[in-house]
Amino acid sequence: MIEIDRLSKTFPARGDDASVEALKDVSLEVREGEFLTVLGPSGCGKTTLLRIIAGLETFEGGDVRVRGRSISGPGPDRAMVFQSFALLPWASVVANVAFGLELRGVPKAEREARAEELIELVGLTGFEKRLPGQLSGGMQQRVGLARALAVDPEILLMDEPFGALDEQTRRLLQEELLVIWEQSRKTVIFITHSMEEAVLLGDRVVLMSPRPGRIVDIVDVPLDRPRASVVDDMAGSAEFAQITADLWRRLREMQLFRRPAREAAPTIGIGA
Amino acid sequence: MSVAAVKPRQVHPPRLDASGIIARIGPGTIGLLAGAILWELIGRIAGLSFFPPLSGVLERLAELTAEGKIIGNLLNSLTNLVIGFGLSAAIGIGLGMAMGAYRKAEMALDFYVYALLTAPTLVFAPLFFSIFGPANSRFSILGVIIMYTVFIIIVNTTSAIRNVPAPLVEMGRSYCASERQLFLKVILPAATPLIMAGLRLGMGRAVKGMINGEMFIAIVGLGQVVTDAGGRFDAEGVLAVLIVIITVAMVAVKVVQLVDQRLTGWLPSNARQRRRNA
Repeated sequence: MIEIDRLSKTFPARGDDASVEALKDVSLEVREGEFLTVLGPSGCGKTTLLRIIAGLETFEGGDVRVRGRSISGPGPDRAMVFQSFALLPWASVVANVAFGLELRGVPKAEREARAEELIELVGLTGFEKRLPGQLSGGMQQRVGLARALAVDPEILLMDEPFGALDEQTRRLLQEELLVIWEQSRKTVIFITHSMEEAVLLGDRVVLMSPRPGRIVDIVDVPLDRPRASVVDDMAGSAEFAQITADLWRRLREMQLFRRPAREAAPTIGIGA
Repeated sequence: MSVAAVKPRQVHPPRLDASGIIARIGPGTIGLLAGAILWELIGRIAGLSFFPPLSGVLERLAELTAEGKIIGNLLNSLTNLVIGFGLSAAIGIGLGMAMGAYRKAEMALDFYVYALLTAPTLVFAPLFFSIFGPANSRFSILGVIIMYTVFIIIVNTTSAIRNVPAPLVEMGRSYCASERQLFLKVILPAATPLIMAGLRLGMGRAVKGMINGEMFIAIVGLGQVVTDAGGRFDAEGVLAVLIVIITVAMVAVKVVQLVDQRLTGWLPSNARQRRRNA
């Protein structure tokens, strides 16, 4: 469904900061209807990867194709859920959920009816007229999720969507996301820095490492679906513990041995 | 003290001690009354021709109104104010948006805007006068009003556009907003609170510009009445017109505030407070 082919992205030097190789030769194929989680330490380029797929970021090398066609910007086939929620603070919950449809010129009555369905799906019935500032973080991100689903995209791009939420809210939303996804089976790319979240939600976990950002492994998650109803049992299972422990071990190595590149290691300390 | 004073009010009839009275009438009214009484007393005790008591000033105001010197001149001044402020808002918001959106426009114009914002604006009065001459004195007055008003609006609009949260713009793009939609549905509403703050400050300055223009250039409107009264050492007359001018300024700023509240009612009240104090 999505083919990412030897993608490279470098942020140019700015002021005193040297240029950063955010992504180097990243290749990845995302299957239709798959829930793919991308896991890595900060600075590994996982958000940059998502932003490129969303069409929000340019890239120098490689190609990104959705259903065989190279992307050249944002498209109606993709919708994004943001870590910062990115809700319009002056617009009501309904208006925020209907925003994508409004941009597409859907008549007001029609888009609000559609928004109403999604508001019910994410459990915000009764809050339609509220402003984002009157909602908790968890409720705001429900609005963000409803807004993305309202435009009925084929691909849902989620950039650490629960990263700004507290642990309890995060767990609830993970479960609800699973429920919604199990009904709709959209293709999801989900960025996270949490091992548990990556394993709990994903069919596969893409493990990335920093400087330059690249994919080090793609781990299959052999846990059964549907998972929404058994989240607690699953999170307590030995298998789950095994996978997350393994991912943590590898992430920790990346953090401990941060070097520009493996082959450059011997020159460190000798000087240029 | 406020807790002790407020709590019993729920249950008992209003008390007649000082805090009870303040709570009933409101501290704003009390402040005004106290000022008026103080003015009257000092005016009477001092007996100075340049510090007449309030009652004398109000009497003079009634006389001037009866002579027909206030209403007509007030309308004349208000016309200048409305046109001058309207032009300033249009130019200021337009230029400010360009400077906020395009770094190069800002780099090119920044110096001039800040130079003229801080320059003593009245020095432009003789310039305008020599450009437009006595026949077109209204243009000179409008010029002065605009010089007083436009730069603060530009500065605020520029930072309003610059401070639109990047994630919102990004969100708009990701949902395939056209440039036009992005501007109308994301950037403009997000920038409105700071733009309105600029208009509010601009309105206060526009009133100053109006009076100064009328006093120093064309001797028309309320400015003319002030100048006349000043020339005759009529302190009561000067102060009477000053009261009118201050009232005009307060009403004009209030009008902008009302528009502001309609447009930015979504702002949380603490953010509104912060913006006001900024």
